Amino acid sequence: MTGPLALIAELTHRCPLHCVYCSNPLQMKQRAAELTTAQWGEVFRQAGALGVLQVDFTGGEPLARGDLVELAAAARQAGLYLNLITSGIGLNEDRLRALVAAGVDHIQLSFQDVNEATADQIAGARAHAYKLELARRIRQHNLAFTMNVVVHRQNLERLPQVIALAEELKADKLEIANVQYYGWALENRAALLPSERQLERSLATVKTAQERLKGRMRIDFVVPDYYGKYPKPCMGGWGRKLMLINPAGDALPCHAAGVIPGMRFENVAVWPLRRIWEESEAFQRFRGEEWMPEPCRGCERRGQDFGGCRCQALLLAGDAAATDPACSLAPQHAVVAGVVAQANSGPAAVSGMAAQPPARANWVYRSNVR
Amino acid sequence: MSRPAPTSRPRLARGCRISEQEGQESMLLMPEGAMRLNPPGLKILRRCDGQHTFAEIVSALQEDFSASSPERIAEDTALFLERLRERRAVDYE
Repeated sequence: MTGPLALIAELTHRCPLHCVYCSNPLQMKQRAAELTTAQWGEVFRQAGALGVLQVDFTGGEPLARGDLVELAAAARQAGLYLNLITSGIGLNEDRLRALVAAGVDHIQLSFQDVNEATADQIAGARAHAYKLELARRIRQHNLAFTMNVVVHRQNLERLPQVIALAEELKADKLEIANVQYYGWALENRAALLPSERQLERSLATVKTAQERLKGRMRIDFVVPDYYGKYPKPCMGGWGRKLMLINPAGDALPCHAAGVIPGMRFENVAVWPLRRIWEESEAFQRFRGEEWMPEPCRGCERRGQDFGGCRCQALLLAGDAAATDPACSLAPQHAVVAGVVAQANSGPAAVSGMAAQPPARANWVYRSNVR
Repeated sequence: MSRPAPTSRPRLARGCRISEQEGQESMLLMPEGAMRLNPPGLKILRRCDGQHTFAEIVSALQEDFSASSPERIAEDTALFLERLRERRAVDYE
C-alpha cells in the first residue's frame, strides 16, 4: 500500500486571531495536551520513512509554539518539504531569519481582506497592518511566498484589489479560497455564503488575471462547493493522500473528521504512523469504494470526487456515509439548494451587492469559551 | 508559447528544489506539490542554476540523445521549462 504524500501537522490550536470561518473544531485541544518537541520529531522521521514528501505546519497558529525553529529543523532533517501556513502574528525578523535557516521552504501568509477595518473585523484582532509589513520582509528571503485570502460574501467585491495587492507584494502564488462550511464557518454561514452573481463575477475576474499573470504569479481559486454541480474531492479521497495529526497527536483522515460520531482516532504516541495509515479503523472507514451508497456506487465520477466530503455529509445530511449533499445528484441535495436559494433572495442578491455584514456582536468568533 | 532565448539562464524558482535521496526516485519539490523527474528532466533541472544558458543545457542533453536532432531536443527542453515556468517552478528572462 502506498503511503500518504503529505502530512498536515496541526502543531497547536492556540491562535491570536479569532476568524469567523476558522476550520478548527469547535472543541479545541488545550496547550497541556499538545505533543512535545521530541514527539513531533519522531512523527516527522516516521513520515519521511513512509514516503511522505511534504509537511504543512499549521494550527491554530504554528508560531504560538516556542519550539517552532526546532520543529522546522527536524522536519527538514527527515527529508520533508516544509510549508509554513501562518497568520504571521509573532513573526519578527529574528524569528523569520531562524526559520529560513532551519529550512522552511515556503510560507503561506493569510490575509482576511485588503481593507484594514473589515480584515480586522473578520479576524477579531488588529492584524492587517502587521501582515502587510511582514509580507514585504518575507520577500527579502530566499523562499517561496504564497498570499492566501479566504473569500466570502463580505469581501468578494474587492477581489480585483486582492489580486492587485498580491502583485504589489510580489507573491509567487495567490490562493483565493472560498470559505468551506465546517466548524466556525458553519455557525456563520448565512453571513458568509456569496450570491451567485458574486461568484460569477469572481470567476471571470480570476480567469482574466490568470491569463495576464501567467509565468509571473500563479492564482489558485477554490470554488464554493455549495455552487458546484459535483462535490469537491475532499482530501483527494479519504485515506488516499493525506494524514492530519492534531495538536494532541491523534491522526485524522480530514480536518473535521472529529465531528463524525463513533470514530476512533489512534494516537502517534501509541501507534506507529505506518500502522495508523494502513490499519487504523479511522483511515479504513471510508477508504476505497466499498462504503459508497447509491448514486455514488454506480457513478462514473466516483474515482474523481470520491463521494465528496464525509464530514459535510454528516453535518448536512446527518449521516457520514451519505453522498455529500453538495452534489447535485445527492438525495439530500435539497438541504444545500435551500441554503443557496436563501443566499440569492432579497434585493441585495439581485443587485449583486453583498448584504450588510452582521454587527460585530453577531459574528460567532472562534474562541475557547463557547 | 514564449520560450527561453538561447542565452537566457534558467533557474529554479524560490522554494523549489530537487530531492535526490538514496534508493528513491528523484523529485522536484515545490510549494504544496511535487513532480517525478525522469533522467533528462533531472539533467535539465540540475543545470537550472542561473549559470548555465539554455543553449548549454540543450547541448548537455545532446550528449545523451545523440540520435535526436538538436532542434527536437531544444523544442522538448523549451516545452518542459515553459510548463514549469507556468507552475512558478522555474524562472528565466
